[in-house]
Amino acid sequence: MADFREQSKLEAAILALKAAGIAADDMDVFSEEPIEFRRGILDRPSRMSLVAVLGAIITGGLATAGVYAAQHNYRLITGGMPVFSFWGTGVITYETTMLGSVLATFGWFLWESGLLRKRDKNIPVPTVLPGVMCLRVRCFDPHVTRARQILDSAGATDIARKEVA
Amino acid sequence: MAASAPELLPYAKIREDLFRPLSSASARYWITICAALSIVILGLSAWGIQVRDGMGVTGLNRPVFWGFYIVDFVFWIGISHAGTLISAILRLTDAGWRKPVTRAAEAITVFCLMIGGMFPIIHLGRSWLFYWLIPYPNPRLLWPNFRSPLLWDLVAILTYVTGSVIYLYLPLIPDMAQLAEHNVPWRRKLYRILSLGWTGSDREWHALERAMKLMACIILAIAISVHTVVSWDFAMSIAPMWHSTIFGPYFVVGAIFSGIAALLLVLGILRRTLGLELYLTKHHFNNLSKLLLLMSLLWFYFTFAEYQTVWYGNEPSEMAVFASKIRGPYAPFFWTMVVCNFVVPFVLLGIRKLRTVTTAMISSVCVLIGMWLERYLIVAPTLGNPRMNAASGLYLPTWIEFAITAATFAGMIVLYLLFSKLFPIIAVWEFKPHPVEED
Amino acid sequence: MSIDLDRCTGCEACVVACHAENNLPVSSPDQAEKGRTAHWIRVDRYYEGEFPDVKVKYRPVLCQQCDNAPCEPVCPTYATYHNTEGLNVQVYNRCVGTFYCANNCPYTVRFFNWFAPEWPEPLQLQHNPDVAIRPAGVMEKCTFCVQRIQRGKRDAATENRPLADGEIQPACVQSCPAEAMVFGDLNDPESKVSKLAGSGRSTLLMGELGTKPKVFYLERAK
Repeated sequence: MADFREQSKLEAAILALKAAGIAADDMDVFSEEPIEFRRGILDRPSRMSLVAVLGAIITGGLATAGVYAAQHNYRLITGGMPVFSFWGTGVITYETTMLGSVLATFGWFLWESGLLRKRDKNIPVPTVLPGVMCLRVRCFDPHVTRARQILDSAGATDIARKEVA
Repeated sequence: MAASAPELLPYAKIREDLFRPLSSASARYWITICAALSIVILGLSAWGIQVRDGMGVTGLNRPVFWGFYIVDFVFWIGISHAGTLISAILRLTDAGWRKPVTRAAEAITVFCLMIGGMFPIIHLGRSWLFYWLIPYPNPRLLWPNFRSPLLWDLVAILTYVTGSVIYLYLPLIPDMAQLAEHNVPWRRKLYRILSLGWTGSDREWHALERAMKLMACIILAIAISVHTVVSWDFAMSIAPMWHSTIFGPYFVVGAIFSGIAALLLVLGILRRTLGLELYLTKHHFNNLSKLLLLMSLLWFYFTFAEYQTVWYGNEPSEMAVFASKIRGPYAPFFWTMVVCNFVVPFVLLGIRKLRTVTTAMISSVCVLIGMWLERYLIVAPTLGNPRMNAASGLYLPTWIEFAITAATFAGMIVLYLLFSKLFPIIAVWEFKPHPVEED
Repeated sequence: MSIDLDRCTGCEACVVACHAENNLPVSSPDQAEKGRTAHWIRVDRYYEGEFPDVKVKYRPVLCQQCDNAPCEPVCPTYATYHNTEGLNVQVYNRCVGTFYCANNCPYTVRFFNWFAPEWPEPLQLQHNPDVAIRPAGVMEKCTFCVQRIQRGKRDAATENRPLADGEIQPACVQSCPAEAMVFGDLNDPESKVSKLAGSGRSTLLMGELGTKPKVFYLERAK
């Protein structure tokens, strides 16, 4: 784990580590505020938009189907008006679509951020001080010295090494 | 110059200032909460009397079947649009000045929705059976009528509440993580649970930012639809001057208008009581005032269009309602509304020299009064002048309705005070240093 | 139903009969001042001219049992709906008191039970056992004396004969001394009410709203 104070140095370090063969998935940057990396440095592909849309469509569809079933279940004499009218329930369709996308987004956020996944207790989590960005690299023995070199030359302060069983 | 650039303050000072309210409470705080709580209890007992004795204890009658409760309902749901506009739209347009304002706004939204959502239950003749509006499988094969605009209300508001709570909660998570070292043990535990084990890794930040962007779009779409649906409670009926196509956009504009006023008022009070002058600067109030002025003009446009159309159309049943508003028993309220909603903001906020934090707060109070009166003028005159004018009536509210209305304002104060003590009212993690913006 | 406005004398016997038949609650003077009285059928008076040439017109207004009722789609709990006979029925148990139906009725014929109903002694002994007593918090309105309709149908079924025209009479129709009101089956082209409804004097109250009311007011065209 290494602390950086400047974003440019951190980015250089990440690029160098990637060049040395360490995968982006093995690197994590911890900070007190979101860091905007340039494209290509530490991209995390996300499927959140797709999940939101899917959640929306599914919930909206289910709700409309539910209304349809309910209206037909409780048949009333409508005096010529349809038992189920799509535009009449259009508001409910729309709102439940939105509700579905909200819940899907939130749920996927919890999953994708790793907050609700089972955490490996052995992997250390650094306590971050304000203004400091901590880069944590997971690698196996032969790479460790190379990683240290890169981090050192990139200008990191306080490089620490933690053994994990 | 330092006052106009809060982002350039040292981070430690920001944290200290914004976390300080969470560790101590002044005597003024306790007095305010106790006073507000007593008004809430008064309101609750008024409601209890209403449930025990029947709706006759209110001022409702035939034909004015909807009164203060519906006015309050529309009013509170309207104010709840504050958070959405400021938070979502400004987030989507990437306006930097929104940063200290978003959480206060989002909190207003959530609490106003909670309060507003009580009114569909309070106004029922048989409140204890309100759950019949919820579609649940039952042995009597009974379902609610999904064609009714009141059911649309239910779905829309439930969606909005869910969306707003999530929208408030998401950016709260990083702050919860920072607060996990609080001195009071039960609060430490609370923050730790609420932070869901947030570590600040870039994966989490990335997911959070993506979620916030999506939520901003979604919550905007929901908010516009919610108040449109609330307006359709009126517009879908055939009562004179209710059956108007303009009601959808009219109510949305009115909602955003009253929401910004409420936000301005709340921020002004917070600034003074919590000592946040460095963070909620004149720049913020200036921008919010400009927004308030803009919404005032928009509101005036919609109101003028609505009334002009009615007057020119000269349809008898609509003109009866119109006359009762402009010249009849509701005239004092109508003209007060026009002054409060349009004249005061236009003068105080339109003239640059007069636009200060204090005048902005005065304008907000006037706008809130004016918007409440506007809702009242939408409900009572129409119902009081039905199509069969042999059945006209006047609405005279009783102390029960006043008590419950006052209790909702007090309840809002209580909820907000509690919130500001438990959670930082300004999002700390969003204060990244960035260049100062011009006024 | 058809009501002949040229015969109506405004005596309000129909109002009293309806009160007696349908267990309508009695209001007190100050509740009446607040606008809380319930008259399922009421007689509206319209005055024309100046004294001494005053002309009064009477119009009994009751629930028009509209075929296209504005009160029906807006009730969130289906407490008011159309039954197969064309009646707009109000289900008291299902009503939660949203008031939307009353707001949407252009004839203002819906009434709310503001308090639990009370009757001064000895009127509570006069209740009609066929009609429910509504609790506080529910909406009510004219039902075309559905209890009499049910009784008539039941009697005809037990006697194995079809219903005769004019056999069923709601309380207001029965009590009108001027015989201004006629009740019957609009689906039967031979019934008296169908013939009156088709006559040249037949008008609808606010028919232009499209509510398709089933009460036909007969008056001489001016």
